[in-house]
Amino acid sequence: MTEKMYIDALAEAIREEFDRDERVFMIGEDIGVYGGSFGVTKGMYEKYKDKLVDTPISEASIVGVGVGCALVGLRPIVEIMFSDFMMDAMEFIVNQAAKLSYMTGGQLCVPMVIRSPMGSGAGMAAQHSQSLPAIFAHIPGLKVVMPATPYDVKGLLKTAVRDDNPVIFLEHKLLYWTKGEVPEGEYLVPLGKADVKRQGGDITLVAGSIMVPRSLEAADALAKDGIECEVVDVRSLSPLDVDTIVSSVKKTGRLAIVEDDNENFGWGAEVAAKITNSEAFDFLDEPILRVAGNNIPIPYSPELEKAAVPQVEDVISAVKGVFSRRG
Amino acid sequence: MATVVTMPKLGTTMMSGVILKWLKKEGERVEKGEPLLEIQTDKVNMEEEAYESGVLLKILAPEGTEVPVNQPIAVIGVEGEDISSLLREISGEVPQAAKSATVEALSAEKEELVAVSAPAPGEGKPRATPAARRLAREYGVDLAAIKGSGPRGRVHKADVEEHLKRAVPKPAEAPAAAAKPTPQAPGKAIPLSGIRGVIAKKMRESVNTAPHYFVFMEIDMSEALKVRERINVKLPEEEKLSINTLLAKAAAVAISEFPIFNSYVDGSNIVLKEEINIGIAVAIEEGIIVPVIRNVDRKGLRGVAREERELIAKARTKALKPEDYEGGSFTISNLGMFGVPRFTAIINQPEVAILAVGKVADKVVIENEEMVVRPIMEVSLSSDHRVIDGATAARFLNRLKEIMEDPMQMAL
Repeated sequence: MTEKMYIDALAEAIREEFDRDERVFMIGEDIGVYGGSFGVTKGMYEKYKDKLVDTPISEASIVGVGVGCALVGLRPIVEIMFSDFMMDAMEFIVNQAAKLSYMTGGQLCVPMVIRSPMGSGAGMAAQHSQSLPAIFAHIPGLKVVMPATPYDVKGLLKTAVRDDNPVIFLEHKLLYWTKGEVPEGEYLVPLGKADVKRQGGDITLVAGSIMVPRSLEAADALAKDGIECEVVDVRSLSPLDVDTIVSSVKKTGRLAIVEDDNENFGWGAEVAAKITNSEAFDFLDEPILRVAGNNIPIPYSPELEKAAVPQVEDVISAVKGVFSRRG
Repeated sequence: MATVVTMPKLGTTMMSGVILKWLKKEGERVEKGEPLLEIQTDKVNMEEEAYESGVLLKILAPEGTEVPVNQPIAVIGVEGEDISSLLREISGEVPQAAKSATVEALSAEKEELVAVSAPAPGEGKPRATPAARRLAREYGVDLAAIKGSGPRGRVHKADVEEHLKRAVPKPAEAPAAAAKPTPQAPGKAIPLSGIRGVIAKKMRESVNTAPHYFVFMEIDMSEALKVRERINVKLPEEEKLSINTLLAKAAAVAISEFPIFNSYVDGSNIVLKEEINIGIAVAIEEGIIVPVIRNVDRKGLRGVAREERELIAKARTKALKPEDYEGGSFTISNLGMFGVPRFTAIINQPEVAILAVGKVADKVVIENEEMVVRPIMEVSLSSDHRVIDGATAARFLNRLKEIMEDPMQMAL
């Protein structure tokens, strides 16, 4: 296996899907000659000129075209420059893409992937830094994926492209230049299957996207204090792999949910509710802990931006709190 | 209202502390915030201050004793206050020197002092985590009797475990199982967990709650074996009948006539169940599991056989789902294939009876004053005497024998 960057593994998945299926193409702002705002399609234009469709600055139109193309049999990958801008396309995402298969009794389907960077930490202020997976996970008919590693991003994107339903594919900006093992050749990662990224017996940390590497780093530090964390990467919020979380919590008896987005009405609340209503309830030996962002817009000031979203140290101290609050 | 002072938890990993020195004497006045005693942990000596103002009414742990965290060490209250009932209440938990307490290394950083609250007043429901409640339920422990180490006296799983460890049964009523273990020679430990743990728990519970007795019967298998052979030549491999198939079907017919064998005890009631589901005990690598064939009374023999084979295959590959082994009426345990002539089985609760089946062996029997050789199978029926009396068990077994010896009746 070779080490690759997240962004390169992602680009590899796109190229492989372009080659595999002539119906697959990409549409978005500045993805052609310019290579995409974050450089995902950099260097692809020469070979895939016909597959990279540049658009005017109108997210509603981009997604609208994507839905239309999907309905007539193409398999578009829509790139939205910042996932914050998906708010402009909500009509097409929520009222069209998510509903059409249901409303036509399965006669139509929308095999479209919307890929988009999310998250804070890049100094891009409140309108370019949100993590909003929970908004999409709330909508029946949408699948929501947020890969944390180069391996997962490649395997999940390929699966997403082949799925007959609309998939919201969220990439944390700070993950693009992280490295990890990626095998050569074709492989797929299923949607709706969580991955235990680290085994441990004392507490389960459920995380997604950027919070997976942060939780793993926190787990290494906590292990030095004798606290063994099990880190479960949800990989997708919809479908959500509750079974894997349930069996982990049955083992550890403690659960912390680590989220990049702000806490109120976030996906961590959904996980907590599902666990208290599962057979894992009788194994809980501590209240369920949520480590999530503050309920504020992401600040522009770098220090405040860091403080608004859980960092490694926040995960460490929150978990330590679970083990020292006794007495 | 007097307040109990407990050994504070001065660090994440602190398990116990040694009382170095009491800075106040019994009867002396102490103000909130004033140093009360000196404590030694494995890392540091610390002064602990009083969290309540009042009179130091009683020192429960003298200087030099090692006390586990959150255990009572003193009582502070109003001068002249009667604390006898309080002392009685906590007398069960007066610290014994915890010589064997494992004291792990404290983390390097000096932890902030954790406030130790007095136990919640003994009114209302005890606070406990779900895990603690589950454990207490399993062992029949009253949560109210356990002092919780969590905030506001919340009982955690570790508290129940600690309680179970310390609970020394009174000699007169000590059940054998709870007797102090005698020292054993060193050996390899296999954890009593997973399936093994479940078996251990369920079997002990069954023997403890259901008064078992055993009734034996011999069944002439001549007809059953013939019928089985005749039917099996017509059936594909996956539907071929086993002896257990016939037994399951015969038991289902008998149970439909003796519904008490399809019941369970719920508190002060015997509840009769509706579906007749027959469990077949299957030996697997980790132990034993009893998948359940549903509605055997309503299925034909080949349907029962197919389900039996599917369930056994699933059991061997660990693919059984809860609905595959829950809700049984009656269990059949067959050791005949191991050449066992006869044995008795422990009831698979909440069921009320189980059939233990031995091998089919040619035996000489007397028929019409003549010796003849017949294939005989011995079975024993274990019944729960709370629900089923000996005569009922005997009638049931006779009926089972009748059906097995005249398999046409399985069509009933």
